[in-house]
Amino acid sequence: MFDFLVFSLTVAGIYALMALGLNLQAGYAGLMNFGHIAFAGLGAYATGIAFTLGWAPLAGAALGVLAAMALGWCIGRIGNKLASDYWGIATLAIAEILRTIAINEDWLTGGSNGISAIPSLFDGLGRPWSGLAFLGLVMLAVAVCALLCRRLGDGRFGRALRLMREEPQLAACMGYDLRSLKSRTLMAGAAITALGGSLYAHYMSFVSPDYMFPAETFLLWTMVMIGGVGSTAGVLVGVALVQAANVLAPFAREVLGFGSDVAGALRLGLIGLILLACLLWRSEGLVPEKLRKMP
Amino acid sequence: MKHFSSSLFAALLLSAGPTGAFAQGTVNVGAVLSLTGASATIGEDVRRGIMLGVDQVNSKGGVLGKKFNVIVEDSGGNATTALNAARKLVGVDKVPVVMGEYSSSITLPVGQYLVKEGVTHLNINSSSIKLKDLGATSFGLLGLENYANSFSASDTFALGYRKVAVIAPNNAYGQGVLQGYKEAFEKLGGKVVTEVLYAAGQSTYRRELEQMSRSNPDAFVYTAYGQEAAVINREAHDLGLRKTPWYAILLSMCVSDTPPEIANGQLGMELGAVQGPAGKAYAEAFTTKYKEGFKTAYTGYGYDAVLMTAAAMEKARSADAAAIQAALKEIGQSYAGVTGVISFDANRQRLNPPYDRLKYENGKIAQR
Repeated sequence: MFDFLVFSLTVAGIYALMALGLNLQAGYAGLMNFGHIAFAGLGAYATGIAFTLGWAPLAGAALGVLAAMALGWCIGRIGNKLASDYWGIATLAIAEILRTIAINEDWLTGGSNGISAIPSLFDGLGRPWSGLAFLGLVMLAVAVCALLCRRLGDGRFGRALRLMREEPQLAACMGYDLRSLKSRTLMAGAAITALGGSLYAHYMSFVSPDYMFPAETFLLWTMVMIGGVGSTAGVLVGVALVQAANVLAPFAREVLGFGSDVAGALRLGLIGLILLACLLWRSEGLVPEKLRKMP
Repeated sequence: MKHFSSSLFAALLLSAGPTGAFAQGTVNVGAVLSLTGASATIGEDVRRGIMLGVDQVNSKGGVLGKKFNVIVEDSGGNATTALNAARKLVGVDKVPVVMGEYSSSITLPVGQYLVKEGVTHLNINSSSIKLKDLGATSFGLLGLENYANSFSASDTFALGYRKVAVIAPNNAYGQGVLQGYKEAFEKLGGKVVTEVLYAAGQSTYRRELEQMSRSNPDAFVYTAYGQEAAVINREAHDLGLRKTPWYAILLSMCVSDTPPEIANGQLGMELGAVQGPAGKAYAEAFTTKYKEGFKTAYTGYGYDAVLMTAAAMEKARSADAAAIQAALKEIGQSYAGVTGVISFDANRQRLNPPYDRLKYENGKIAQR
């Protein structure tokens, strides 16, 4: 039970990093990024490739973060004239292109078999300390990133982003360079998400193109929407709730005495129900964003 | 309890419900199946096979005098959820054996985790060659892709084809088939004149088909998932390519969504579903219980996995993972399952797995 709890918390922490990255873009800046998982994929693949080259884990993570930031910069620059929904579709396309590259470039990514046997970070410590140390590292990363996101959101940069989200013309009139704001947000979000991806690759010891399926992006969107778009605390609540639904569904089935044929349906139904309930009753999320109102 | 005859025992079991007839406690093992997601049909089919196996074991008195049970968890068709399920089975339910998953890219990380924990892993659906390197506690009940590839290569060669064009999906499975088939076929003296990996989910595959037809092959060899195969088959028909023979690797998957008038006349091969009288009895029991036959060739492997696990536990007189593994190695020298005789090689993978030579005619798949 203890092992399982540590695992669930660690996975939740890794998802929290990715969701915080998405929230920077979608929450503060209102950027409809539907290809967000590409950043996590870059982080995971950079870690996998660095491992095959014999690099240190830190170098792999750094490579992933830099690559994701470069991609973020590019996405920020392209499609400047696109309306936000069309831009969202463009991001989805970019993520799919990256996934296709991951499937086809065997020499680099291991093709569709992926890269396996990536070492976990603290295997030397033995049990249960290796799992706990990993959890500690993930939680530390989440805490640091959450504080950073909060500071970023409450500061001048965050206010500029919110202005760009609500009144882009006004923001431009006030002298903000919208293109630069957009790029910088995407780069910051990409960096956090790639870090999450890198930790994910270490924890699962495996990376494959399946990790970059669009469904993963929408899972992150679900977490952010349930918690509260634009609110750091909300994102953490959303992640905790969705992960709890994932983890508890098998137990709920046993308690309620359902047969194994509804095992899958119960898990999906539970998450769907939470999302629907939140959309109906708390459309701004469980912990909505607090906007400072000028009197 | 001992003086009941087995049929009376079974009758008692049915009437008294699962709790009445056994000594205290239940012996649990686990399974991770894709009950939701793209492969849900296959996952559900395999679950039925597994549950039939559980009924069978319990009707014969369970395991170690206790009731036998398989806890089935959903993998959602993705690696994170699958690992979540495997961790729950190992960490909370403390099962000594876990079966699953379907897709190789999920079976690999799940298997790695189970081997790391010393838990017995039974591969019942995946065929990537990488699975043989998982480690000492992982066992494979179905033939890995090397067997399937050499089978289809020698089958097509024996049909007299010397120049073939091959198309397969661009994923772990398709890449494995293409490389393995080509290697085996060219070793026999044939030649693969065109090889195409197609992208999943397209609305048309005309470009790919035209590319293949330009090389004037003796036959088209293909493998594709139901819906995509339907598009490929229809367009091949429209382009007049069906004058040349078509050979399907995993025929039932390839024609499942294709109208019979288009699919008629195709040849192919398939993972051996069930073999011999035991297999026939299993197929009948399956149809009786679920009011329809199985949809895929995989269910028998789930059923065999359950019965082998129960037999291994009885042989070891223990539900301890290490003892089960030792017993599985002994039983696995020659175990008569519904999918034929199961014997393991040095890597604990099935030797000489069964495959069927098939053809599609009059709207049905038949032995050839």
